[in-house]
Amino acid sequence: MTTRDLVLIALFTAIIVVLGLIPPVTLGFIPVPITAQSMGVMLAGCIIGAKRGALAYVLLVLLVAIGLPVLSGGRGGLAVIQGPTGGFVLGWIVATYVTGLIAERLVKEGQSEARQFAGFFIASIVGGIGVLYVIGMPWVTAVTGTPLSAVATGSLAFIPGDIVKAVIATLAARAVLAGYPLLHARA
Amino acid sequence: MLNGLNVEGTTPLHRMSVRAKLAILLFCGLALYAVSSLVILIAAFVIAALIYFTTGLAFRDAMSRLKPILFTILILLIATAYLTSLREAAEGFFRLMAIVLFAGAVTATTATGAFIDEITRLLQPLDRLGLVRAADVGLAFGLVLRFVPDIFNHYQLIREAHRARGLKVRPLTILAPLIILTLKDADTIAMAIDARGFRRPSEKRR
Repeated sequence: MTTRDLVLIALFTAIIVVLGLIPPVTLGFIPVPITAQSMGVMLAGCIIGAKRGALAYVLLVLLVAIGLPVLSGGRGGLAVIQGPTGGFVLGWIVATYVTGLIAERLVKEGQSEARQFAGFFIASIVGGIGVLYVIGMPWVTAVTGTPLSAVATGSLAFIPGDIVKAVIATLAARAVLAGYPLLHARA
Repeated sequence: MLNGLNVEGTTPLHRMSVRAKLAILLFCGLALYAVSSLVILIAAFVIAALIYFTTGLAFRDAMSRLKPILFTILILLIATAYLTSLREAAEGFFRLMAIVLFAGAVTATTATGAFIDEITRLLQPLDRLGLVRAADVGLAFGLVLRFVPDIFNHYQLIREAHRARGLKVRPLTILAPLIILTLKDADTIAMAIDARGFRRPSEKRR
């Protein structure tokens, strides 16, 4: 790993921490305010790619584990990882990797804008929503004993918000790709 | 801006080594799942609560840290009680709270630096195999802590720029400038690190 990669990883982790510090915003038709931090998985995968994105999340999870209040609302500490939603926290790493992998395959510089949007959107949906829930939901069931079907039904409430986040992440990732491309590792 | 969640103190837990604390936490976390006796689970919960509330953490802080996680646990367990049985929900509550309280106690009694040192030590075997560089972890931690205030400043500047132009502050219009503004410094920072020789030169690399 080059020093530049190490710096990009650390800077992205710092960006994710800052996204947790800015106040949540409400979007017109969704009642729950969304935190910018919850877009981090999609953004990291789509902007710095699979390997560096996943490592940025490894670093974030380590920061949580060592007790820094880096998650939105000043949460942090080992209790977050050992609690019912710990599967989502650890799932971020895999979800970012998958998001990045898909984005790297589908999106190329010099493609039409529409294809780039489509690529980032698919990557965000599959990695940032699909993979994350596949890891997070069974964990909730394992930890609390709540039946998986109930957890899945409850999770449906978050899906509309997640899709809006995927749209925002797609637009932001495409803007960064146009302005300062980093997705594909420099030779 | 990013103060650790630990408090100074001299309790036995403060003096215990980080590795021992993590090992006990891991062991208790797994062992409690093998137990379904309510008596043992309640005992574990009471012991964990005693440890958590005697770490020297102010009572108000101790409670406010528990609030978000307690909320999630209660929602899930009300669903469990309704869908399976009250007994299972009760088991889940005491087991989870015992683990969460003990994890909170470890967090409260371990300084950030001690954790980073321990992570670096645990990575040494992998370092010798050439898989990771243990020293990079400490460097990466340092970089994050160093740049969070700077990036937050970037955010405030972008927000002010929005206001000056009468625009609404939206995630969409904030994210791209914030990310580009931050990441374009990567080259300069990397050069500065290499110029100071903070990383050992890469040997045996393709």
